[in-house]
Amino acid sequence: MTALAGSRTGLRRATTTRRRLPRQWWAGYLLILPFFVLFAAFGAYPLIFAIQLSFTDWHGSGTLHWIGLSNYTYLLTNSDFWGSLLNSGAVWLLIVPVQTVLAIAVAAALSRSGRWYAKVLRTVTILPYVTPVAAMAQAFILLFDTNFGVTNYILAAVGLPKIGWLTTTFWSKPTIALFILWKSSGFALIIMLAAVQQISREVYEAAAIDGAGPLRTFFSITVPLVRRATAFFVVVSTLGISQMFVEPYILTKGGPYTSSQTSGLYLYNHIGASDLGTGAANSFLLVILVLILSLVSVRLLRSEE
Amino acid sequence: MTGHTHTNQLRERMLDRRSLLRAAAGLGGLAATSSALMACTPGSSTSQQPLKPQPSPTASGSITLWMRNDDLLKVFKTVIPAFNKVYPKITVDMVGLDIDTKLPPTLISGTAVPDGSFYEDVNIVGQADHLYDLSTLMKPHLSDTVQFKLDVNTIDGKLVGIPWDTDPGLLYYREDILSRAGVDPDSLTSYDLLLDAADKIKSKNPKAKPIPLEQDSNLGLQWLMMLVNQQQGSGLVDGEGKLTIDTPATRNALTWIKQVADHGLGARTKFASTGQIAMLDNDTISLVPWAIWFDFLPQSGLKKSVGKWRVTQLPAWKEGGARSGVMGGSSFVIPLKAKNPELAWLFYEFALYNKIGYSTVYGPNKTYANGLNTSLPSVKAALNGPALFKPVSQLGNQDLWPVDTKAALAIPPGYRIPPWFNQAANYLGVNMQKMIDGSMSVDDVISKSTEQIQKNLVDRQR
Repeated sequence: MTALAGSRTGLRRATTTRRRLPRQWWAGYLLILPFFVLFAAFGAYPLIFAIQLSFTDWHGSGTLHWIGLSNYTYLLTNSDFWGSLLNSGAVWLLIVPVQTVLAIAVAAALSRSGRWYAKVLRTVTILPYVTPVAAMAQAFILLFDTNFGVTNYILAAVGLPKIGWLTTTFWSKPTIALFILWKSSGFALIIMLAAVQQISREVYEAAAIDGAGPLRTFFSITVPLVRRATAFFVVVSTLGISQMFVEPYILTKGGPYTSSQTSGLYLYNHIGASDLGTGAANSFLLVILVLILSLVSVRLLRSEE
Repeated sequence: MTGHTHTNQLRERMLDRRSLLRAAAGLGGLAATSSALMACTPGSSTSQQPLKPQPSPTASGSITLWMRNDDLLKVFKTVIPAFNKVYPKITVDMVGLDIDTKLPPTLISGTAVPDGSFYEDVNIVGQADHLYDLSTLMKPHLSDTVQFKLDVNTIDGKLVGIPWDTDPGLLYYREDILSRAGVDPDSLTSYDLLLDAADKIKSKNPKAKPIPLEQDSNLGLQWLMMLVNQQQGSGLVDGEGKLTIDTPATRNALTWIKQVADHGLGARTKFASTGQIAMLDNDTISLVPWAIWFDFLPQSGLKKSVGKWRVTQLPAWKEGGARSGVMGGSSFVIPLKAKNPELAWLFYEFALYNKIGYSTVYGPNKTYANGLNTSLPSVKAALNGPALFKPVSQLGNQDLWPVDTKAALAIPPGYRIPPWFNQAANYLGVNMQKMIDGSMSVDDVISKSTEQIQKNLVDRQR
């Protein structure tokens, strides 16, 4: 009797559950609806509209006028577009390899050092990263002004000629790269410090027992074991440099001539001039390029692993 | 076994139904979201309703006006009490913000559009389709407005901006340095004589580079256009939108700039940069053919040379030629999607064309103790009237008003700003920089810039 009653209760519960199922199903969708609405409005829709824009010559008014692949062919055959990519590539080369190696080395040194100044050094390195870029850039301009900058003053004191750090085509990119190194090395250090601190002390002790010196330990233990963090940093840096706009805009406005016009600044020039169709096409070409570069970076680092 | 199969079939059927419901709900949601979003899709045009401003004092309502977020905001806010004496039922909310960044997307999206806005002349043409044609309302004021400002604001036959400030070119100079070099500023009536004066200054002080040669390609282009406008009225394009770069006027201006550079008389700096301020203070720069707004440097940026600067007319390119050109300027616009466009017009008409309005803006006030002297009104009655701003000690207490207004009234008509003006700096602006640095000739600059601008900018406009 009890067993029968129990099975009936179970059946009733199952039936109730089945009856309630559609209501629960809708309730679930209702709960995630806000996300989808926000995503559709601020994620999917702008993306789809930007794709649509890239096939038009829209300048911000009137109806959209379809021009096919014209914006893409214009950009792909335009020397300024390729020039901006080359400028970004040059800045990448000047920054990322140096910054990565330096960040790992400093992180390794700081994490293993118990000295009092290690904490001070960590703070000092991170300080430029948290300082507003505009303020940093103004200070940098004062340091590297051709006629009145401290850097040229020091060069003159040792008998060297003045350098147009921000005003010559040869020096504009290295100077911007130096600024970014100064500004963003704190970020690189945070990532590498976290990665280096994950490496077990026993690995280092084993290496020491085997007679490995500091250099050998660095290249054979530290560098391979922070490969994942390195891959992450390289991808993030590549993304950042491909979109880089503020630094060259404040320091050189892309000049002299267009020698420091990065891909982000070139894109901004289209959008700033309401040439929104070309700007949208430029954005998608950059997305494709960054995607390829990021995949290659990750692939290379993974294959070595 | 049979029961189990039946349950499976039931589940499959239920899953099918569920999938179907999900798909339908998804599609429905997507369709609803799409239609909601499409309702506010940019890329559609708004037709213009005729504006009929109500006469005082019946006009009532509130307006939101956008203003550049600097001292101009404070200055224009002081007009509101005087405006409200005439139009007591209109509430004005003047908001300061970054117009260049905020106005274009607002006009394009059509949401939270202000009733009126300040806008730089160089940017107006790009948004002309979103703005009211004010030709009819402006009719009573046309003859009282400097012509070049009307030309700048007329796009496809529509007057889309209410002209506000005129920024004429002037020649700023260091009185003490010219005096030591034996140069009479009144004798600087031609650009050749200006070059000779620079030579004389350099002979007294070999370190001097008297004339600044702008290093920023955009500002450099504006400077070149001032020198070109002075000669031919037009700048980059004529009234029909045809390029006017390959002209004697551009050739003259570029040749003169190249001479300044080749003779070692030009200081390569960026306007108002630390480097330029130091050069202005340490006697390197002493002759500055520039826009009226250069005078903010002696008034706020310079130290050692304060009080030693004076101003006179620009030299002429030929005898009897115009002694000024245009470099900058701004106006007020009324968006097509404004809620109270008529009321916005009433405010701008009062602030710009009523004597009380323009005297309040340009006269001495809390923000500018001696008045606003970095630009001038575009109203002829104001320019021909008594001085609105006072002399300033930073410019040796010189009476700036007669010099400045004479220049404003001398600006030749016919100046047009193409929608791609700022982008032209990447071509003509950059090529001019290369010429100054010695890697291009005048002919190269003209031919290459014409080709680049035609191909990359003119041909790519609708």
